Amino acid sequence: MEESNVDEGRTTDARSLTSKALVAGGTGEVMIEISNVEKWYGDFQALNGVDLVVGRQETVVVAGPSGSGKSTLIRCINRLEQHDRGRIIVDGTELSDDLKDIQEIRRETGMVFQSFNLFPHLTILENITLAPRHVRRRPRGEADELGMRLLERVRIPEQAHKYPGQLSGGQQQRAAIARSLAMEPKVMLFDEPTSALDPEMIKEVLDTMEELAASGMTMICVTHEMGFARHVADRVVFMSDGGIVEVDDPESIFANPKEERTKLFLSQVL
Amino acid sequence: MSATTSTRPPVRRVAPARWAKDNLFATPFNALLTLIFAPLVAVVAWWFLRFLAVRARWEIVETNLTLYIVGAFPRDQLWRLWLSLAILAVVFGLIGGLVGATTREAAIAAGRPLTTTRWDRVARLGPPALLLVSLLGFARTFTPFVLTAGVVALGVATSLLARRLPGAVRRSVPLIAVLGIVVALFAISGFGGVPRSAWGGLLITMYYTIGALVISYPLGILFALGRRSSLPMVRWVCGAYVEFFRGSPLITLLFTGWLVLPFFLPADFSTPTLVTRALTIFILFTSAYVAEIVRGGLQAVGRGQWEAAQALGLSPWKQTRLIVLPQALRAVIPGLVGQAISLFKDTTLVLIIGQQDLLAIAQNVTKQDEFLGKGYIIESLVFVGIVYWVASYWLSKESQRLEVRLGVGQR
Repeated sequence: MEESNVDEGRTTDARSLTSKALVAGGTGEVMIEISNVEKWYGDFQALNGVDLVVGRQETVVVAGPSGSGKSTLIRCINRLEQHDRGRIIVDGTELSDDLKDIQEIRRETGMVFQSFNLFPHLTILENITLAPRHVRRRPRGEADELGMRLLERVRIPEQAHKYPGQLSGGQQQRAAIARSLAMEPKVMLFDEPTSALDPEMIKEVLDTMEELAASGMTMICVTHEMGFARHVADRVVFMSDGGIVEVDDPESIFANPKEERTKLFLSQVL
Repeated sequence: MSATTSTRPPVRRVAPARWAKDNLFATPFNALLTLIFAPLVAVVAWWFLRFLAVRARWEIVETNLTLYIVGAFPRDQLWRLWLSLAILAVVFGLIGGLVGATTREAAIAAGRPLTTTRWDRVARLGPPALLLVSLLGFARTFTPFVLTAGVVALGVATSLLARRLPGAVRRSVPLIAVLGIVVALFAISGFGGVPRSAWGGLLITMYYTIGALVISYPLGILFALGRRSSLPMVRWVCGAYVEFFRGSPLITLLFTGWLVLPFFLPADFSTPTLVTRALTIFILFTSAYVAEIVRGGLQAVGRGQWEAAQALGLSPWKQTRLIVLPQALRAVIPGLVGQAISLFKDTTLVLIIGQQDLLAIAQNVTKQDEFLGKGYIIESLVFVGIVYWVASYWLSKESQRLEVRLGVGQR
């Protein structure tokens, strides 16, 4: 909010920003509500009052220069980072210091990391069945079945009994997506899922994500893949210096960005 | 592609002369080192082998073999030790057979090639066979051979049987193993048996080593986790514990347990036996070192692993137990095994609090009338040294095998 008050000339844009950030897309039901969230690292403010509402089955792409707070924002949603002010509500559960609420939200929220973070001491199938077995307490046979179904869905069933180190980056990231899906989450968070991949592997991961979005998953993706944003996102959120600068549907934001910073960023990445 | 498509990598063959030139005489300095050290190594090896085979007067070991192995353990109760060994053979046969079977089945299910060849399995038997030879080689009667063969056969038979066990029985094997070890201990000391204070030689050495290992390693892991706890009190207590025991010489601690501890215990509290006190000291001391080794392993596990485990909704305890600890322990296997070997050799310090362990026996037998003042100490110490070395080497070899099997450094 501070952000837009600084520049008086932008009040109309600020209002449209507010409305577009706060209208749930997808089915129109609210899935994630982020209001006035601040995050500080010591004296450095990483998020300065972020407001965003994400609707059920909506795909939101968060873009922006590095250091703009994109990753911090989605890491706050499942409490990998603790926000210092404001509220985050995921599917009706507000994130508090209560471990029960945190666990509740983490069970409903899948996350995919830039560096995959597969467990190297477990096979791919064991990576996937770990959470269903130990968090959801599914019997082993049932979990294995679920795991194989998911591996077929991300098209690497033949890798089930290998260890993560034996797979290519793209295969590892697809396994990581399958691992998150095994908890049958309501929301998926993607933190630059293709940034650590070779160019020829980016597509296979993006295809998987696109299928996931088409299947009705609620998704927030931090990514630099503007092609993905253009084709798959329902809304694109542009962030800079810890705040949301502009929110719009992909056609409008790519064809006709309103803010100078958005224009500058897009001119550099497109 | 070219017409000669290979299906296997080319085999590199190096002629012996070429090998020697590349490895021993590559540079003038290299050649000089070879010329100095090759004769030196040859002389020492010749001297040592000649000592073992020709010059050594092994009758001191032959006469006292039982003493070396069990100390003052009553000779009419030796059957208890054999019974205990038989029980242990069953337990370890069961575990070994089962571990082998499950690894094999998992590899087949996953379509992975079986990594162990027949030669690996034979090579694996080398160190324990060497240990048996160095002990039994000095036996004067046939009884030990027959009984040892019986115990080994029992172990092999159980390991073959274990492969055929149905799943329900397999799951109860850990429980059976723990029970078996307790029964094996009881077979020696329980039911009117021999109290630990009468144990000696290799027996008491193994008791201290294995007893301290089994208790101090889990304890050390707990202290390592405690030092990283989010609760300041837990962190502080664990830190103080580790720093205290790591900063005190083991000898001081043993003296404390021997002489000082009884004064501080309440009068109505019956003082534990000296063996129990010494074992406790080894446990406290070793767990402090294990804690630091494991802490190093915990630090080697990346933040991303914790985060991925958190993001899946695993509870903090399960994050540690299922994700972080397995990786941390795999990373520090060499350190943990090093500490185990170190503990095995450190148990010789009980000599100074009057315990008759293997090393103490090695000294005392030279004071027998028959051998007094004739320099038999050399033979005695060489024998004991070989036993210590072979046992340590066995442990070290097994740990290397474990590392390969867990794929340390590869995945």
